[in-house]
Parts: sequence; C-alpha cells; structure tokens
Amino acid sequence: MNRWIWPVVIIGIIVLLPLVLTTYGMQLATEIFIMSIFVLSLGFIIGYVGLVSLGHAAFFGIGAYTVALLANVTTNTYVLILAAIILAGILAFLTGWLFVRTSGAYFLMITLAFNQVVYTVFFKWKDVTGGADGMTVRAQLDLGFGPVQSQLALYYIMAFSMLLCYFLLRRYIAAPLGKATLGVKENEDRMKALGYPIRSYKLIAYTVAGAMAGFAGSLYAFFNRFVSPEVASWFFSGEALVMSIIGGVGTLFGPPIGAGLFVILQNYISTFTARWPMVMGAIFIVFVLYSRGGIAHLLKRLWNRLFTKEEKLAEPAKVAEESKTEGGQA
Amino acid sequence: MSIFLVQILTGLAYGMLLFMIAAGLSIIFGLLNVINLAHGALFLIGGYVTLSLVNNYLNFWLSLLVAIVVMALLSVIIERFLLDKMYGQEFEQVLLTFGLMFFLADVAKWIWGTSPQSIPVPDYLASSFSVGVVSFPVYRVFVVLVGCLVAVVMWYLETKTRIGAVIRAGVDDREMLGALGINFKVAFTGVFAFGAALAGLAGGLGGPILGLYTGMEGDILILSLVVVVIGGLGTWKGSFVGAILVGMADTFGQMWFPSFSMAIIFIIMGLVLLIKPSGLFGKGVGA
Repeated sequence: MNRWIWPVVIIGIIVLLPLVLTTYGMQLATEIFIMSIFVLSLGFIIGYVGLVSLGHAAFFGIGAYTVALLANVTTNTYVLILAAIILAGILAFLTGWLFVRTSGAYFLMITLAFNQVVYTVFFKWKDVTGGADGMTVRAQLDLGFGPVQSQLALYYIMAFSMLLCYFLLRRYIAAPLGKATLGVKENEDRMKALGYPIRSYKLIAYTVAGAMAGFAGSLYAFFNRFVSPEVASWFFSGEALVMSIIGGVGTLFGPPIGAGLFVILQNYISTFTARWPMVMGAIFIVFVLYSRGGIAHLLKRLWNRLFTKEEKLAEPAKVAEESKTEGGQA
Repeated sequence: MSIFLVQILTGLAYGMLLFMIAAGLSIIFGLLNVINLAHGALFLIGGYVTLSLVNNYLNFWLSLLVAIVVMALLSVIIERFLLDKMYGQEFEQVLLTFGLMFFLADVAKWIWGTSPQSIPVPDYLASSFSVGVVSFPVYRVFVVLVGCLVAVVMWYLETKTRIGAVIRAGVDDREMLGALGINFKVAFTGVFAFGAALAGLAGGLGGPILGLYTGMEGDILILSLVVVVIGGLGTWKGSFVGAILVGMADTFGQMWFPSFSMAIIFIIMGLVLLIKPSGLFGKGVGA
C-alpha cells in the first residue's frame, strides 16, 4: 500500500495542476516537463553510471534539429520523433564507444569538446540549418487525431512523456543490467575482476541517455516550433548539469525537481535583472558547498526527520557515505 | 608561399597563447586533481583588466603586470575560501569552478559590456618587419617569444628549484609530502595562483590578437581543454606540443576549410584518444 502513495500523489498533482495554473504557468509547466526528460537522462548517467558529461545538449540539439530538418520531408509525428531518438542514440553510441575509454576529468572535457563540434555544425551550416538565425519547425504535433492545438493537450502529452521516461529509467535501474551498471560506478576494478564487461555497461547507459536527450529535443522542437543552435550549446549542457546537481544526483526524482526550480527561478529572476547567470552561479556554488546531494536528499532527510523515527540515525551516515563515493569520481 | 609563412607565424602565436592557458590548467590538475573550469573566465577578466588600464593611459607593460597580479590575488581568494572547503572531493571542486565560471563571466559582462573590444598595443609592437618579400607582424613574433620564455621558466622552476621539487613530489604522492613536514596547502595555493596568473598574462597578451568578447570564456576553455586532452593532463610539456598542434590546425583549417576548422581539431583529438587515451605526454588514463 505504502509504495503506491507517492506515485498516486504525484500523478494527481500533475493531472489537477492545470485547474490552478494561468496560461503562462501552463507554458512554464510544459517546458519544465521537457527539461525534466533532458535532465533525467543526464542525472541518470551522472548518478548511476558515474559519467559526468558536460556535452549532453549535443543530443538534445540533434533531436530538435532532426525534427526541424526532416519536417521538410514528412510531417508524421511518430516518424519524426522516432528518427530523432534513433539518430541521437546512434550518435551517442558511436561517440560513446570512444568516450567511455576515459573517465573523470577526461570524460568531462571530451564531451564538452564534442558538444562544441555539434554546435558549430548547426551554427555554420547556414544553407541547411539557417545558421545563427535558426529555423522554424514546419511539423505540428499530431498523434493521429489531428494537430494538437490546445495548451492543455500539449501539457498532458509532455507530462505523460516525462512520466514514461521516469518509469523506463526506474525499470532500467531495478533490472540486473542497471544493478551491474551501478556496480561499475561504485567499484570499477572489482566489477572488472568479476568479469563484467564494464565498458559495455557504460556504453549502453550512455546510449540510452543520449537517445532520451534526443527524445526531449524532439519534443522541444514540437513545443517551441522553432530551433536555433543555442539548443546544442555547451552553455545549455552546463545549465542541465546545474539542474541535475541542484535537484540531486543518485535519485530519479531529483532531476525533475532541479529542472522545475531552475526554470521557475530563471523566469522569475529574469523579469527584474539581466544578471541571471551570476545569480545562478552563486546559487549553484552555495548548493555545492552546503548541500551535498541537492534538494532530493534535503527532502529525504526532512521526510525522515518528520515521519520515520527509526531511520533518523541511519540516514546521515548513508548520505555521508554517498557523498564520499561521489567525491571520488572526478 | 609568403602567405604560408605568415600563417605559420599566426598559428605559432595562437598556439603560444593556448599554451599559456592550457599549461596553467594542466599543472593545476597535476597537483590539485581539479579541472579548473573557470580558467577561461580568468583569461577573459585578465584581458579586460589590461584593456581598462591601457585605456586609462597606463603603460602596456605595467597594465599587463597589474592584470597578472590581480588574477593571482583573485585566484588565491578562490582557492582559500572556496576550493579549500572541499579538499578530498575533487568532483565537488570541479563543480565549484564551474559555478564560478558562470559567475565571473557574468561579472565581466556587467562591468565591461557585451560589445567586442580589442587591446591597443604600443606603436613599436604594432608595426611589421619584412624578410625578403614576406612581412611579419612584430606583435606575433613577440607573443611567440613570450610563450617560449614561459616554457623555459616553467622548465627551470620544475627541474632546478626546490619549489619545483616539492610540486613534483606532490603530484606523485601527496600524503608522503605531508608526512615529510611540507605544508602542501601552500603549494596548492601557489600553483593555483601561478596558473591563474598565466591565464591573466595570456588574456592581456591575447587581447590585441583575439579581441575580447562575451562568451569568449567558453571558446577559450574548450580549446585549452582540447589542448590538454591531446597533450596529456598534468604535464606542461604536453600542453606545449598540443597547443602548437591545435594553433596550427586551427589557423590552417580556417584558411582551407573555414566552416570545419573546429571539426579538424576534434578529429585530431579523437585520433590521439584512440591511440593513446591519456594524451601524448600523459601517464595513466584519467589519472
């Protein structure tokens, strides 16, 4: 019984939220769902595989541009989204094959450099992508019942997509495959000694994350109806990293919280100052200094303190241990 | 042919600037195990400080010196008050420098605005001299010389001085160094400040050639990371070779394939990774 409470509460909130949200709020919430998918895929490889990527927006951008470019050929939503997922997945597989040979700082730098290459292609290939001006997306979201026009429908579709991705990653982590992957993260040498092909585990997870980021990008193209090279910029990758760290890595409910807080703060603060990057940098530094594990762990601790007396003692030790293993990553 | 020679000089000068940035990044990593992602922002601020002083009629050399000192002081503050709180947790330290990059770059944007600017150089450096039919800009030759001088100084410090011995020992075995009674935290601060000072120097020297613009911190950071990946982390010699390689590849790439020069650099990096994942001069993978 207990394990059903949270999913029901969350889904209930998502279903009922449109009743209280303004048009602007709906727009924001829809955007948050898309960002959540993107940040989920990044938080997954950081928290469960130990691959800290600073180039994840490359796959988001590839997904978005796949939809934008292929829309000139077909407007079938399913074909476009599937193409975006497959293309991003293939690219993640090919580059990942090279990248997962490295780890820690090297991985961070290489993914960043790769991100810059993808950005440059979108930026410089003016005849096809429109360069810095970007391009409008001709296709409209259409699940087979006519084009989706209403904001409410868009909201529910994106919410469903996010929950679907969350559920898929949950299954991945709970499966033997995911457990072995986590083992690789915790103790690579031991897993290697036990005969596990550690590179393959990393590569599979990286490919899945890339494909999921591509999916988020394709949804963004349908949502925004316009794409520009900024969606594949390293700055965007950095923002996604900030979102996942603020939300909390090592959990799956952290990234959506991080994405939500980030998008809301960004929109709110941008209304009265242009110094958002400064504020974001400061918030991020404070989080890294004083709150290991992000909001997710803060919530967990608060929850335990309020409602479960037995785990009160066990929890801080566990958190300390987790932050220790995270510390050894870079 | 004459264009070819001038391009070689351009590539070398660019490479030397990259060397000064990447070498700082590399030695900081060697000792502290931290990739300083704020390094590009330090470069940019170093350039802007030089620019402001030159614009206020201060001598170019003096401006450069002040910029170097300011960057060293700023980095000491960063190291003492932020990184120091997180020793032993390298991942968190990298994240700190990442947040700092956003912060510092936005501060620079706030103070110096968003329009691209360039640092004027003294007249005697702005001219060019000719050898036969080819005319070389003096300033680029000057930058190449400074780069070589920096390399010589680093070589001397590393191999001939006590400071260098302490740092080499710290790279190999930090605990042992502490057990021998050497305060390696001072060495950490010193190396971090030295790297930042190099970034400031590169910013001041690079300003006249590359210009200064919003978003430059990212471009510089990425290029110097590529240099470090090619050359190997923790060794300034690797940065020297990698920087010249990247400087040349970028300069000639821009000449022959203007749209894909970044791709060429990336292909070089990919090849190095395939053959030697730890970089040309690096020791172990991810070490």
